Amino acid sequence: MAKVKALTQEWMDAYKAAIVADPDYKQIAKDWEGSVALVCNPDPDKGVPETIYLFQDYWHGDVGEFVVCDKAKAESAKFVMTGDYSRWKQVALKELDATKALLQGKLKMKGDLPYVVRNIKTVNKVIDILGKFDTQWPDDPA
Amino acid sequence: MAYESDLSFNYLGPTKIVFGVDSSKDVEIEMSTLGGTKAVVVTDEGIIKAGLIDHITKALGGKCVGVFSDIPQDTGVEVVDAGAAFARKNGADIVISVGGGSVIDTAKGMCMLITEGGTLRDFNGIQLLTRPQIPHIVIPTTAGTGSEVTNAAVILDKAMGQKRLIVENFNIPRLGILDPKMTAKLPKLLTAGTGMDAMTHAVEALHALPHEPITDGLALHAIRLLYRYLPTCVENGNDLVARGQVQIAATMAGWAFSIAGIGIVHAMAHSIGAIAHVPHGYANGMLLAECMDFNLESCPDAYAMVAEAFGIRERGMDDLDAASAAVRALKEFTKKIGHPQRLSEFKVNEDDIAKAAELSLGDGCILNNPRMVFDSSEVLEIFRKVL
Repeated sequence: MAKVKALTQEWMDAYKAAIVADPDYKQIAKDWEGSVALVCNPDPDKGVPETIYLFQDYWHGDVGEFVVCDKAKAESAKFVMTGDYSRWKQVALKELDATKALLQGKLKMKGDLPYVVRNIKTVNKVIDILGKFDTQWPDDPA
Repeated sequence: MAYESDLSFNYLGPTKIVFGVDSSKDVEIEMSTLGGTKAVVVTDEGIIKAGLIDHITKALGGKCVGVFSDIPQDTGVEVVDAGAAFARKNGADIVISVGGGSVIDTAKGMCMLITEGGTLRDFNGIQLLTRPQIPHIVIPTTAGTGSEVTNAAVILDKAMGQKRLIVENFNIPRLGILDPKMTAKLPKLLTAGTGMDAMTHAVEALHALPHEPITDGLALHAIRLLYRYLPTCVENGNDLVARGQVQIAATMAGWAFSIAGIGIVHAMAHSIGAIAHVPHGYANGMLLAECMDFNLESCPDAYAMVAEAFGIRERGMDDLDAASAAVRALKEFTKKIGHPQRLSEFKVNEDDIAKAAELSLGDGCILNNPRMVFDSSEVLEIFRKVL
């Protein structure tokens, strides 16, 4: 199976499909409601010339809109997580724990922290799924 | 204590520490080195009445543009907003906080609003800042919070019925002045409570999941100093050697937990503080031993090190034996220093602990606890043991 290009609509579609296909996700995420935006800061040297905004909608175990979007839509999300390209790649490859990254300031999060903490199993599950499909990162050798 | 092969951490401790008897008199000199020309002093009425401000405002002279002192025991969002408005109105370019945790956390919030504008409720999230904030000098009058060196502040949001946890690396104070004389008038009970706050920071930094060798070293020496000198401070508050060592221990514990994190004790203390207004240090001190007991089998090696720091690990004890001995010793220690033992002493009831148990599951600190906690009934069980 061909690798999916990271941070593209194709990648968002694959991510959504992997979440929907996960046998445990629906039960774990039954209490989660609200959208999440991931903002990837530009890093031209690594093939990310501009900021990339990704919008994901989650609702009580169901998955809604998963799109590459503009800044305004990203900022409308209930939670907005921002980080450098290399940090997002590390999180996806499980080289960096997302919670630790937040506490160390490697990622930033706008939104209700207690809500995230209460639903940390959902967050961990979604991140776990992120590593389950083959991804071609912009700075990977072709 | 063993470390995993994938150990990785960032140690960030940018605060300069100035220590010594009468070092607070140097505040103007130190302020100038940070480029400050107009200082707003943040404190509370108790500190003013205790006469701990006069020599500081005198040293600052005309560089003091105002004193903001309308700060309650548990600071709130509105207090921070009012403090920032006061500082802006007076054109402050540096903040000097003189007080305990509530005062220092108020000043931290003020620094963000002075630099970025808006109100504290605009800062809903974690690590949101992207540039250094206005300089902040801290002169603690208690030895417990370690807030002079941490990236964290806890601010009560009455409307939400919860304490807001602010974590911002760009808002760590630039300078802490530890003058033992500033804590010499602290009453016995408050000395015990704030000291147990520091002890809790140190122990929780050892058992927190992101602990690492540097923070372990800081935490362990903080525990040694507290175990040795805190009883002396309670007995004789004018012993400036003991006062100074406990101040240093509180700062070291602050550095340790700022990097390593804290765990279930703080999640519970924040929550019972928000629900029933139990002062933070006392809540920590009452809950610490029972929470260690709860975690015992998840991190016996960490608590065995506590036993070593207490000097009570005997030959032949395995880690679990030593960890159990540390829990017992800690309970005795709190009695020895006259620390409150039961939440009911603060009029806490069964309804309060049920609400606080639920609230604890949403506190960020709980994520770093060595034993995963997913159900509020586990937290409630611990609360009941100290009710």
